[in-house]
Amino acid sequence: MFLLISFLFFLLRISPGDPSLKFISPDLSPKLAAKIRDSFNLNSSLVDQYKAFLINLVRGNFGISYTYRMPVLSVIKDYLPFTLIFSSISFLIQIIAGFFLALFSVKKINGAFDKTISKLSLIAYAIPSFVLGVSLILVFSSALNLFPSSGLSSFDFSSFSFFQRLSDYAFHLVLPLITLSLSGVAVYYKYLRENLEDVYNKTFVLNLRAHGFTEKEITRKHVIPNAINPLISVAGVELGILFGGALVTEVIFGLPGMGRLTVNAILSRDYPLVIGCTFISGVLVILSNLAADLIKVRVDKRLLKSTLN
Amino acid sequence: MTSKLKIWHLIIAICIALLLLNYGLVIKTYSLIIIYLQIIPENYPRAISQIGFSLIDSCASAILVVIIPIFVYLLRKRVKIFYVSLNFTSAAIIILISFFIFAPFAASSNPNFQQNISETKLLPPFSSVEVIHLKRNEKPEQNLIGKFFNLKKEVVKNTFDESIIFADSIVITKVATIYQKGNQVILPKDTILFSYGKPVITKKLFLFGTDEFGRDIYSRLVYGARISLFVGLGSVTISLLLGLSLGFLAGYPGGFVDTIISRVTDMFLSFPAIFLVILILALFGNSLFTVIIVLGFSGWMSLFKIVRSEVVSLKQKDFFISAKMSGLSGYRLLTKEVLPLILAPVVVNLVFQYGSVILAEAALSFLGLGTGSSYPSWGAMIEAGQNYLTEAWWMIVPPGLCLFVTLYAANNLGKEINLIFNPRLKG
Repeated sequence: MFLLISFLFFLLRISPGDPSLKFISPDLSPKLAAKIRDSFNLNSSLVDQYKAFLINLVRGNFGISYTYRMPVLSVIKDYLPFTLIFSSISFLIQIIAGFFLALFSVKKINGAFDKTISKLSLIAYAIPSFVLGVSLILVFSSALNLFPSSGLSSFDFSSFSFFQRLSDYAFHLVLPLITLSLSGVAVYYKYLRENLEDVYNKTFVLNLRAHGFTEKEITRKHVIPNAINPLISVAGVELGILFGGALVTEVIFGLPGMGRLTVNAILSRDYPLVIGCTFISGVLVILSNLAADLIKVRVDKRLLKSTLN
Repeated sequence: MTSKLKIWHLIIAICIALLLLNYGLVIKTYSLIIIYLQIIPENYPRAISQIGFSLIDSCASAILVVIIPIFVYLLRKRVKIFYVSLNFTSAAIIILISFFIFAPFAASSNPNFQQNISETKLLPPFSSVEVIHLKRNEKPEQNLIGKFFNLKKEVVKNTFDESIIFADSIVITKVATIYQKGNQVILPKDTILFSYGKPVITKKLFLFGTDEFGRDIYSRLVYGARISLFVGLGSVTISLLLGLSLGFLAGYPGGFVDTIISRVTDMFLSFPAIFLVILILALFGNSLFTVIIVLGFSGWMSLFKIVRSEVVSLKQKDFFISAKMSGLSGYRLLTKEVLPLILAPVVVNLVFQYGSVILAEAALSFLGLGTGSSYPSWGAMIEAGQNYLTEAWWMIVPPGLCLFVTLYAANNLGKEINLIFNPRLKG
């Protein structure tokens, strides 16, 4: 984490271009220009700059966005909740859909359902999210006119009641959620299917069957808990990919989230905002990885022992 | 799956098809090469100054399009890989590679070719436009260099061609009247090229339509394959070198160095690569080579982990210790003792890495941080097509399909190689 911050600082310093130049116009007097340059703190020694940078980060002060003319943190505050909610809904969809698909296809290995879903999951895994998103817009909103192609709310949003508003949000989020979730569903499906198949072939399941437990009971009480463990670490990795995917999806569908903010900041060369956005997203991913690790340790106590040793 | 068709059938079929479709161009290219070879002893500095990427490109693909089928046919019994049976994956990969090598012949025009934009922009697939050929204002040259330039003009595809005009319909009376979308152009008869007493009017077919600047999408796809493969190969090579050398460096001596390098790797692994890539590209500007380098630097971590763990376990084996005792240098130890043993996981990892690099390049291009506008990239094509979503679906679907097929093939290839190296997985 600390190394990461230093790396960011290093990148920032060696990047070409002087941020103060953006605020200095040729009309200004040289004295004022020098003052502005001073305010960017670029003339002091590198160590001092690094110290100031660290202190600012700890205080949550990323500087002032060039385009929004507001502190970076308050800009991010407007955009962050959407991305968090959006990604977590998609995360839930991925896990639940992947889980049930895997469960159904394991019921009859190499059956028709299993074969088609396995083939489809390979395809879904290979489709890049932006190709999928644009094609969905093409089919569902441009050709069939079923779903809106962009934005989060309808034109006459303010006149709606609460429930209408909720359904309006949901209506607008159908396509983005499909785009974001599909490849994740494929990943979870693949892992879960393999795990479930493995566990079903273990001898203890045979033993349980011999003891006369019903198939439903075996699945619910013995197979699923055993198959789900390795999934947690996959989920931790997937979350990082999810944030990256949300970035592209938000750009396609014009949703007000972190991804679009980041891309716009990059395109308008708004460096403080870029740094802030990447930093916050990185912290989120690291935190989610940490959470996955903690859950893993909690589920499987043996891991804790091995790490402590 | 064993079909009777093998890989070498497809390779030869592609080469012969290209030869038959472009026989005129191939012959011209060969005469260009002969003239060029004659110029070299005569006027050395002039000849050197004419060498450019597109010239070498055309000549090389003209030579290869003849040599490759012959070699494949002769070597098919000896080289095992030509006898792999043909399926979706291998066919897709071979077509991509042939696009990569034979781009000048496979494409029908330069990817940035533009002429009469109002006439050719946003044409749907399989549409064709009438072309009237004008006289080129050039005399038949006698000396070698003049001939060379005339031939070069025909062989190397330019981004413009002043000797043709696209039109909706052409009426020829005493003058030629050309209709272009309600616009009427009258040309005097002596500017038009005649052969056997008739004006030369052909039709140009746009297989996948054209984009908003009237550029042929099919040609852009072919050259886009080149960019994708090039970016993929370049950054995978960088990852390979980094992962291999760092992994060996960390695993072989162990101790302090190992700890530091492993911690740094963990740091990179914990941070999602896409944000880092975007950040670096945003700060330093994007071009083809920065994209390759940054993607290469963002992908070495998994390879490092594989190499390091393998080296750590190999270090205690007897054969490694005896090799070390006999005084081999670190480099020799790596290439002679370690590499052959860890080849399988490394190759599989590289193939998967390759797929993800292509995807990342396309995503970056899509976000406007890709290889830049001077190279046609699939991601950039999709991004451009987004603005014309309702009127021109053909700007999005072909590059999207290409991207999908490439990724699917790369994933499958990785899996198949994995199966070859670990037959036990077949189960």
